[in-house]
Amino acid sequence: MAQATLERNVLRDGLILPRTPDPAVMVIFGASGDLTHKKLMPALYNLTLNRYLPSGFSVIGIARTPWSDQEFRNEMEEAVKKNSRTQPVDHSVWHAFSQGLSYIPMAFDDSAGYQRLAKALEQIDEERGTNGNRLFYFATLPAFFPVIIEQLKASGLARQEGGWKRVVVEKPFGHDLASAKELNQVIHTVFSESQIFRIDHYLGKETVQNVMVFRFANGIFEPIWNRRYVDHVQITVAEDIGIEKRGKYYESAGALRDIFQNHLLQLLSIAAMEAPPNFDADTVRDEKVKVLKAIHPIDVANDVVRGQYGPGWVAGQQVVGYSQEADVAPNSTTETYVAVRLMIDNWRWADTPFYLRTGKRLPSRASEIAIQFKNAPHLPFAKTAVQGLAPNVLVMRIQPHEGASLKIAAKIPGPVMRIRTVNMDFFYGSSFLVESPDAYERLVLDCLLGDATLFARVDEVERAWALSDHIASEWAKQPPPDFPNYAAGTWGPEAADALLEREGRRWRRP
Amino acid sequence: MEAAVNDHHDISTAVTVDVNQIKEELERVRWGLHDDQYSEAAEHAAAEARASVLNMITVVSDESQLARIKKVLDGLSITHPSRTLILLAQEHRSGEKLEAEVSAETRSDSGHRVSTEQVILHAHGEVAKHLSSVVTPLLISELPVMLWWPGLPNFESQLFGELCALCDRLVVDTDDGFERRHLRLLLDCAHSGASQTSISDFNWARLVPWRHLTAQFFDMPDMLSRLGEIQGAVIAYGAERPIAQALLLAGWLKSRMGTVGVEVPVEFVEDDSHDHRVARFDLYTGTGPDKARFTVRRIPGGRLAAEIRIGEHDAGSRTVGVPARTYEDLLAIQLTLPAHDVLFEEALAAAME
Repeated sequence: MAQATLERNVLRDGLILPRTPDPAVMVIFGASGDLTHKKLMPALYNLTLNRYLPSGFSVIGIARTPWSDQEFRNEMEEAVKKNSRTQPVDHSVWHAFSQGLSYIPMAFDDSAGYQRLAKALEQIDEERGTNGNRLFYFATLPAFFPVIIEQLKASGLARQEGGWKRVVVEKPFGHDLASAKELNQVIHTVFSESQIFRIDHYLGKETVQNVMVFRFANGIFEPIWNRRYVDHVQITVAEDIGIEKRGKYYESAGALRDIFQNHLLQLLSIAAMEAPPNFDADTVRDEKVKVLKAIHPIDVANDVVRGQYGPGWVAGQQVVGYSQEADVAPNSTTETYVAVRLMIDNWRWADTPFYLRTGKRLPSRASEIAIQFKNAPHLPFAKTAVQGLAPNVLVMRIQPHEGASLKIAAKIPGPVMRIRTVNMDFFYGSSFLVESPDAYERLVLDCLLGDATLFARVDEVERAWALSDHIASEWAKQPPPDFPNYAAGTWGPEAADALLEREGRRWRRP
Repeated sequence: MEAAVNDHHDISTAVTVDVNQIKEELERVRWGLHDDQYSEAAEHAAAEARASVLNMITVVSDESQLARIKKVLDGLSITHPSRTLILLAQEHRSGEKLEAEVSAETRSDSGHRVSTEQVILHAHGEVAKHLSSVVTPLLISELPVMLWWPGLPNFESQLFGELCALCDRLVVDTDDGFERRHLRLLLDCAHSGASQTSISDFNWARLVPWRHLTAQFFDMPDMLSRLGEIQGAVIAYGAERPIAQALLLAGWLKSRMGTVGVEVPVEFVEDDSHDHRVARFDLYTGTGPDKARFTVRRIPGGRLAAEIRIGEHDAGSRTVGVPARTYEDLLAIQLTLPAHDVLFEEALAAAME
């Protein structure tokens, strides 16, 4: 009988994933916390359900709560039942998966605890064939990152030999440029950049990835995606909710650090980047960083508007102002709204303004990138025919109702020449039957596969912080803002409207 | 997906055999135009874009099948707006007849507004053999044409041949009465020189979890070396139905291993504990203490278990869910396939060797 030495798994030909991740142990620091309950464990369960995880995949949960292995499994089962996107939870799939779950109660600075962890890992390697592959997931407050890193180093758990080692760090990556650099420095003492996966769940959203597909898989858009045809770009991340119960966090963050520094700048990079020659992690991230580096120094006094919501009405509900929210100082100067006009100094975008805005308690929830094209150079129609004609706008909606629309001019049927603007709308949801996976499913799987394309790289993070630090430091020099300056349920401060109106433009209503 | 029609305009109109009349009627229903071309509806339609992703032709043999198929296509239309042509072709019935029923529907049950058109062509006698001549002018240009033939096609019929020549993809379900000789005829369709038609099979789609779990065994670094050492496979299948799915699974294994020069003998056994389709798939390698067995088997509740046994020891097992696929799901999957599913065609060819 013929036998062969195979270099690749020929049975995988034609299947969607090029490979299944290697068997590995995921060590979750902060296993009793919200993130583990609401996101990580449901994501792992759904990955198992859909056959994406390898046999032998194991999880060790670490936190101070004094649970046994079985108590941890029970707790996680309840969490999955409550939070999984697929329901009901399949008992036998869960049961088989949960055999790989274990728990070590310990403080993050407890050296003896790391010795217990090392032993447990060795045992799992032996029993479940995980071959020394480790994914250390920091689902804790950022304050604990340095001590965990230090202990991983001291205990030898981060050593490279015998299987791969990767670390996942949750947003926020620092509080400003200095703290981000400090954090990166600490992590780099143990892990190289290729081992670090900085999760910004926004990038795991199908919809954000679709923006890249929209731009780089359709040949018709790239030729007009530049200063010659584009008048300006508006990027909006609007939320109708307030700060919910996150007053303490939000007071120290504000809209600048919470959304502008990451989500808005990510969307800007994706909208403005050059086409990468391939979809490798570093190639894509190189192009995104180039955009951030090309941003012209922002004139904060003239090109940035901040705001804070006062009381008002949102969706028929009367809501309090920001300064009346729990854990917020009554005289707080924290911004809940930011609008920025910025320019990108390169051949593609020179002289084309990008307007970015984000805010809380705006009239509706919407994230979108809107490309407004220049007017037709000449209209050979009577003035009356083209009254009210709007320029072409291409909108890529991230959420809700993911899709794209193009505003075009069309003749109104009838004997008289009258032209009207109409919207051609496309909803992704109406063309694909499959349910979108949660962002964490995609991101955890990518970590296990070692694909860092959708994760933030050190230079990307630091450049984004430098931009937001510049705005924060200029604000610090200004007199205290007169807050609140917009009512909940409106589209932000008047000054934000003026930012565009002075150039003859206006914000879109998403 | 539970489909609740929120906004349903059934404007069915009986039309006689003239194709041009059917075309006109289709345009009218597509854009919601009725008697008054300058009505509010007409103006509204001018401001709307209609998304259509394909032409779908389905051939049914009788009225009861028609009702079932209509329901499936209605469900599919929520996510894949299309022009659907349902052919009730009954050449054995006496008397020449060609009737057409044209309808359009606007639905918003998916949360998005979706419009579709449907034409039901009912033919008796000689004209039933020539329905492709009616179908061709009714297709939306540029869009792909999918031919879904539920049940066992009449491979020798003129209608089958002409529709295959017209379509980009033929969709069948080899679980539906296909014997070995029918698989051979299907293979001939895929290999017919002039045809650009690709073939899809619901039964093949149902095998994806089996293929996936089997491939995953050998993703593990220690196991890849054993893949080249496979000595044989055993496929157990339910005894009530034909063997098509088991043959396809065997064909897949043989064709893939054939690419690296490994010949794998496959044994088929009937399993009375299951009604039909594949129940268990075993691959075995080596002898003595290092012998290995890789098993994927069906367990109750729509699940599959994957197990590795090395020597006398269990070397890993897990259970995954395999949700039952409806015809709607299976049809939707076919829309995402590459132009030619080369793997399927190779598996089919290997199954026939």
